[in-house]
Amino acid sequence: MTQFHLLAISFALFASAAAGFLTCNSLVRMLMFLELMLNAANVAIVALGQGAVGHAYAVMLFAVAAAEAGVGLALILSLASVFRTLEPGNIKELKG
Amino acid sequence: MTPEILDFTANSAALPLMLLIAGLLILLLPLFVRRLNGAQGFIAAGALIAMAFFFRRPPAAEVALFNGALVLNPLSAYLWAFATAALGLVVLLSLARQAAPDESQGEYYFLLFMAAIGLMVLVAAGDLFTAFIALELLSLPVYALAGIRRSKPGLEAAYKYFMLGAFGSGMTVLGIAVLNALYPALSFAALKAGPASPLALAGFLLVISGFAFKTALVPFHMWVPDAYEGAPTPVAAFMGAAVKAGGVIVLWRLFHLFDGGPVIRIFWWLAAITVTFANLAALAQSGLKRLLAYSSVAHAGYLAVAFFGGRQGAEAVLYYLPVYAMATIGAFAVAAALETDEKGPRIEDLAGLAKARPWLAGAMAAFMFSLAGVPPLAGFFAKFYAFAGAVNSGYTGLVVLAVIMSAVSMYYYLKVTVVMYMKPAASEQVYEAPGLAEAVIALMAAGVLLAGVFSKPLLAIASNAARYF
Repeated sequence: MTQFHLLAISFALFASAAAGFLTCNSLVRMLMFLELMLNAANVAIVALGQGAVGHAYAVMLFAVAAAEAGVGLALILSLASVFRTLEPGNIKELKG
Repeated sequence: MTPEILDFTANSAALPLMLLIAGLLILLLPLFVRRLNGAQGFIAAGALIAMAFFFRRPPAAEVALFNGALVLNPLSAYLWAFATAALGLVVLLSLARQAAPDESQGEYYFLLFMAAIGLMVLVAAGDLFTAFIALELLSLPVYALAGIRRSKPGLEAAYKYFMLGAFGSGMTVLGIAVLNALYPALSFAALKAGPASPLALAGFLLVISGFAFKTALVPFHMWVPDAYEGAPTPVAAFMGAAVKAGGVIVLWRLFHLFDGGPVIRIFWWLAAITVTFANLAALAQSGLKRLLAYSSVAHAGYLAVAFFGGRQGAEAVLYYLPVYAMATIGAFAVAAALETDEKGPRIEDLAGLAKARPWLAGAMAAFMFSLAGVPPLAGFFAKFYAFAGAVNSGYTGLVVLAVIMSAVSMYYYLKVTVVMYMKPAASEQVYEAPGLAEAVIALMAAGVLLAGVFSKPLLAIASNAARYF
């Protein structure tokens, strides 16, 4: 596998994750697609990164993705208990 | 050779950041020691002292820390002073706020300090990856702060802000991955000197759209009205004043990597669409916090216009940020003083305010006129310098559009003032603003007036800082 193939994989993964994020109708799935987007980008960093710096970036991005998942899951749990639904369409307290 | 971290001459420049980190650790104490639950005010005072210290002794020259990841110079000192001032004011506003019974105060201030540290690292970041990590450090606490009340409006605001913010982060990371392949060192200096290839262009556009989410440029602004309306009012003030400033600074650095070409044209369109759409959408708003949200999007557009002014534009951006922050924090403080539910007051709720509380109405009018850009308030000079720079660089068309839209914005800012002074109150309402909130409002009103009438000192500091850009 060349760098080109790896980049193609990561772009395809990112594009399908972004498409899934924009079309799915559940907050949990949206969060999963968000994590998939970050991981796809991380694949690109590891594949294209030159030397140790790129790999260090990838490790730091793990931490960022984990923090993001933590905040996101906490929000989703609170939303589930307050709104009793996880469909964005049903969460309409504010205008717009 | 002494290790870098022990080199005190270099690290004294980083002292405010260290003070804030120490404050962060102290803020964790109330989680374990119940008796300390009222100590947050002292820590806010500490942050302000750090700021005062830094205004007194900015670093004379440039200091690079951590292999160039942090670059400290008068520019970063200026922005750090801005960040700590914004933090201090928001902490004061938060102390005045009635906390929900199930809400932990320690958590709240901890998250606020963490976000401020993120902002300080972001504005001093020497490379793109540090800027991204700092952006996450700035954003993640603010997502949680928006929903800290666990009520319906707060949680809806938080999830919308989180989902779109995290989507923007994903785009930024992909952009960084692409750029990292082309530029092994992601420092801003290396990015400027790099090759211009289609792949680099794609990477830059991904990164720019990620940061445009945070700055709330149209069409990346969808989360703004809901997030500002549902978030606790002091947090909304922090989003408008501080989070936006971080995004603006990074976009500005990215803008200046290019001398022309497609990226500059895209910025032109972003600025044009933002000033047009945000001002037109603001006309239809009836909630005060939603109005301020669209106003903040519009001001991001004016700041983007200022990017085009070169060196003069850099000074204008640095003058614009504190001036805009003062008017916004003041207006949100008034909203907080008048709010009866979480979504904040509607504009018609301000009716009769001039009779009931002439002083509060006068301050609110000053904030509205400053945001609209009426002389002699500071907002006028900020807009004037921003637009003058862009005209001098030959972007007259963009400035004409921005001036027309600024005239449109006059309508909705004046509407607030007219309601306060001309309409009789619907009911006999007793406004009981806490002393701290009133102090913040008075301070900000004095600020927008003095920074306008005597704009020279602030402008001189901004212009000195702009040299290091």
